[in-house]
Amino acid sequence: MRTALATSLRTISGLRASEEIPDQVSPPIAVVSLNNIDYHQAFAGGLTIYRFTVRVIVGRAAERQAQRYLDAYVFPTGASSVKSAIESNRTLGGACQDLIVESMPNIGSITVNENEYLAAEFSVTIYA
Amino acid sequence: MAKYVVTGNTVSFNGTDISASVARAELVISSAEVDVTDFASGGWTEVVGGLKSGSVSLDLHADFGASGLSTLIGEAQVGTLGTVTIIAGNGTAASSTTPEYTAVCLVSSVTPVAGAVGDLSTFSVTWPTSGEITKATA
Repeated sequence: MRTALATSLRTISGLRASEEIPDQVSPPIAVVSLNNIDYHQAFAGGLTIYRFTVRVIVGRAAERQAQRYLDAYVFPTGASSVKSAIESNRTLGGACQDLIVESMPNIGSITVNENEYLAAEFSVTIYA
Repeated sequence: MAKYVVTGNTVSFNGTDISASVARAELVISSAEVDVTDFASGGWTEVVGGLKSGSVSLDLHADFGASGLSTLIGEAQVGTLGTVTIIAGNGTAASSTTPEYTAVCLVSSVTPVAGAVGDLSTFSVTWPTSGEITKATA
């Protein structure tokens, strides 16, 4: 599922995507990480709910430009919309039954390897 | 067998296993209370068992796929009798520790469309049983 999410994110022109948390980031990059899993949502293993966080990290050397980048990524529609890109493949090629980008609960600074970046977090719920 | 956490009861409708689309299953068997209080009851009410009845309640996940649950349990089934089989104890076959209950139910209602935006589409049904509810342990 992480791989499929990253594949969807790579459809955004210029955005790198990583299905694993990288040691080094080369922004702009989307990083997919698993938050939690709810098992046993139906009998016979019929439904498991996965919640992912997708962090879109942009460089903040130029503060205004970084915010403009994120504006395009967090917008619900458009060629750079993260929500739109993820929801363009709601079954992740058959890896799940459905998914939804629930929210973008947080936007702010993030420090990776002592470098400061600007990042937006997206909450993705996957039903599989 | 000991106490158990419900993770995988088996539920079938008209012979089709729908377990993977069921989040909760409940079978209630009850008896009518017939009042037989009389002057000799010592100031207390007295009751005896009357006719037995039952109901089946299911929480279901909507699925409009070709062989999905919403095709199997949809508006076409309302008003008809359907057979619900529930194997308790997380079982997949009837045994002494995983008894299988079979009830003919009147599909009195379905909810083909349910759910708020962003929610998993689920619906619940409660159907009265018709006739005897049987229990198999083998």
